[in-house]
Amino acid sequence: MRVPFAAAARARMAAWVRRRQGADVLPVTLARRRLYILPTRAGLAFGGLWLLMLLAGLNYGNSLALFFTFLLAGFALVAMHQCHRNLLGTTLVSVSAPPMFARRAGALVLTLENRSPEARPGVAASLDDGPLIGADLAPHGRAVLTLPLAAARRGLVRIDRLRLTSTHPFGLFRTWTWVHLTVEVLVYPHPAGRLPRPTTSGTQLGERPHGSAGADEWLGLRPFRDGDSPRQVAWKAYARGAPLLVKEYSPAGSDLCLFDFARLRIPDIEARLSQLARWVVDAEAGGERYGLTLPGAALAPNRGPEHRHHCLAALALHGSDG
Amino acid sequence: MEAMAERSQPAALYWATAAFAGGLLLHVDRVPVWVTAAALLLVVWRLVAAHARVPQPGRIARTVLTAVVTIAVLARFHTLNGLAAGTALLILMAALKLLESYRRRDRLVLVGAGLFLLLAACLDRQSLARAPLYLAQAWLCCTALAVIASDGFPGRAALALAGRTLLFALPLAVLLFLFFPRLAGSFWTVPRGEEGLTGLSDTMSPGSIGKLTTSYDIAFRARFEGPLPPPEQRYWRGPVLPQFDGFTWSRGARDWRARAAWEFAGPAYRYRIALEPSRHRWWFALDTPAQSPDPNVTLTHDYELLAPRPVSDPTSYEALSYTARRAAAPLADWERLEDTALPRGRNPRSLALARELRARAASDTAFVTAALDYLRSGGFVYSLEPEQLGSDEIDDLLFRTRTGFCGHYASAFAVLMRAADVPARVVTGYQGGEWNPVGGYLVVRQADAHAWVEVWLAGRGWTRVDPTAVVEPERLVRGALDLLPEAMSASTRLLRASPWLVGLLQRWDAANAWWNERVVKFDYATQIDVLERLGIRSANVWALGWAFMIALLTWLAVLAWHMGGAARSARPEALARAYAMLCRKLARTGRARAPHQGPLAYAEALRGGSPAVTESAYTLLAVYAQLRYGAPEPATRAHDIEAFARAVRRLRLS
Repeated sequence: MRVPFAAAARARMAAWVRRRQGADVLPVTLARRRLYILPTRAGLAFGGLWLLMLLAGLNYGNSLALFFTFLLAGFALVAMHQCHRNLLGTTLVSVSAPPMFARRAGALVLTLENRSPEARPGVAASLDDGPLIGADLAPHGRAVLTLPLAAARRGLVRIDRLRLTSTHPFGLFRTWTWVHLTVEVLVYPHPAGRLPRPTTSGTQLGERPHGSAGADEWLGLRPFRDGDSPRQVAWKAYARGAPLLVKEYSPAGSDLCLFDFARLRIPDIEARLSQLARWVVDAEAGGERYGLTLPGAALAPNRGPEHRHHCLAALALHGSDG
Repeated sequence: MEAMAERSQPAALYWATAAFAGGLLLHVDRVPVWVTAAALLLVVWRLVAAHARVPQPGRIARTVLTAVVTIAVLARFHTLNGLAAGTALLILMAALKLLESYRRRDRLVLVGAGLFLLLAACLDRQSLARAPLYLAQAWLCCTALAVIASDGFPGRAALALAGRTLLFALPLAVLLFLFFPRLAGSFWTVPRGEEGLTGLSDTMSPGSIGKLTTSYDIAFRARFEGPLPPPEQRYWRGPVLPQFDGFTWSRGARDWRARAAWEFAGPAYRYRIALEPSRHRWWFALDTPAQSPDPNVTLTHDYELLAPRPVSDPTSYEALSYTARRAAAPLADWERLEDTALPRGRNPRSLALARELRARAASDTAFVTAALDYLRSGGFVYSLEPEQLGSDEIDDLLFRTRTGFCGHYASAFAVLMRAADVPARVVTGYQGGEWNPVGGYLVVRQADAHAWVEVWLAGRGWTRVDPTAVVEPERLVRGALDLLPEAMSASTRLLRASPWLVGLLQRWDAANAWWNERVVKFDYATQIDVLERLGIRSANVWALGWAFMIALLTWLAVLAWHMGGAARSARPEALARAYAMLCRKLARTGRARAPHQGPLAYAEALRGGSPAVTESAYTLLAVYAQLRYGAPEPATRAHDIEAFARAVRRLRLS
């Protein structure tokens, strides 16, 4: 249970750290003055044990007990330096967050680079309340950390800071730093709903481009890939200086779906958006062409990952000022 | 789920268990066998459980087990407070903890137990031979910490890491050992166990001992300032036993008495005794100590040295002794009465013999000589394995078995004296000592334990008479072990067989003596001494505090410098340095880089100069620009920077 006072203290602390360090710009190389270090719970227990050993050794004037007490003190101090050094100079090269669905697992992908000739085992990262995800950095090596993200609601999730941390090598100390990067993660609505997908043939909508009836429907141009038939290449465009493009057609008679926010009769807006998201996802998976109409936005029928993203983003941002 | 994870990565459990088992091994000869057995059983059980499905006790079973273990320890030791009892309890509790060592925290508890057992072992014994074991245990515990901290850390790498870390810590440990201010006195005391300690007891009953233990263990070492006392004077005085009940000689309760007034004569021997731990309160000194070496140690009425507590740790002290002495006052009547008392109706033949010898002698002194003559010529044999004696044991010894060791002859001789109303008592202690040429001291072993007689002679006082020396004169010169090799254990005999081995053993013993005197006995006084040797006059606890702080800060600075080494030699800085050097060299040709110029702009600006300058500068500046601003290629970058720096160093312009 976190009492409000503790939460407030945390917020103040976070604000202070942010003021102290300022915002970061990638790539971030961890400098000395931004690394913090404190004993872990195991470290505190070790300290307690150490104190007992010291008292016993002093009490009995026992030279050997004192020697080993001092040896362990040196051990802990060296361990502290090692722990600090394990993070010092690590570079955060990139942070990316692919769009995700609400109530599904998302990810924040970090790339760390070790520019020193020594390995950095057990470097971990986490969000404020997220789990620790660790990796071992080889000398002059890179590692990709995938932090799990969870969002309950659609929209834009803002991540203000993330934590890089390490307890290597003995787990007696934890060194950490805060990296203040503003990352916005787009959260699509949770795809849900059981209404059947409204399917309309293209003709009904009268959007069929000029061409012989019964022929394949022209979808658009896409970059040339090995194995494409030369007949499909858009030579005219190539002659004008464009790269090699291929004309794409959908098979004749394929479905064309138009999803309209206004036509859905679900009272709850979020549920309606979820239903639309479901349809978009299913239609894309089914290889269909689909369009989306929202109040204040309309997306012409199309398909492909980019179109899917545009549709889902529109759903995600519906009603927000962005 | 944790258990599943463990099956795939059991290394952390292995190392935690090893840390505990290592601690257990340090105590294996001190705790009762059932404690070791129970702990080992639990260890094996736990290791099996890490691989296979084994029934696991629930919470109730564990609670019951804990209670049972506590009661068992209580039943064995009658206390939980005390080193032996506490160690046994710690071992058993940690072993029970193994039953629930599924989480990281539980494994850390096991490592903590390992460290605590190390502490207990240090408190128990501090000998040189065990120090490497302790070091190994510390290493093991630190390695276990590393493995537990990062799951799947390979054991060998963890060992190397922990070893390196401890090596870094070693200088600090030595500095703190020297300068951390030690306390004089204790805040509290825990009763010490007495397991496995040998030594002289307060009583002597020769008749009941079939075989004298010939332990090769060291009783003490004596280092003399001047010449050594001659071998026949090497009697080390221990408990004086004036009371005899027919079987046993004992001290009796006489500590309240005032010390007898003795006058000392002859050479004064000043020496330092390093006493090994024993279960008794006796401190030993050359016969006869003139003063108490320590304010806490009593020089008793019979000139024994009696400490307030058993000698549980190695102890050393300066002593002063004289080998010649004389009583300054006559024996009081009641003392004479006590020191001639014999149990009634026992040993009739011996009493008759004594009266007969006394009747023939002119004086007490002549009687002593006559009695010694009787022992010398009576066919008596010195043996460490005599027959058991009957109920009239002095009669049995003198007239039937005629074999015995020092205790038998001392006892018999004292009885003969008392039977003729000559005050006599048995003194126990050690006799002899082996010269260690390496360390320059005498080693006195448990096997040198001896018993002799003191007889009160008018005008001289208590006079030492050693009947054993009459029966076997060699005993004084060679010691019991050399005299009767068959009494030695096989290993001891082997060790003494070759002079080379004996020399080696003497070296080892000298190292032990050094260890005990310089390391184990290192205390506040020695610390002050060290400071004064470093040139600090009138050192006190404040000087020690300063030395401690300086030592700590120096070590921290060296550590920080060393640890920062990797960061300092990091490639970007090497690159910047090389670039600065290149710019300096180019500036010497006449054209310095303007602050606003980047490397490529500078190269362009240099184009007007001599062709040699232009070409090399252009190439190097372009390489620098590529290294500094180009796409990072971590794999070859370090190598490229080194090559660039080398090229800059070799660059010759002009």
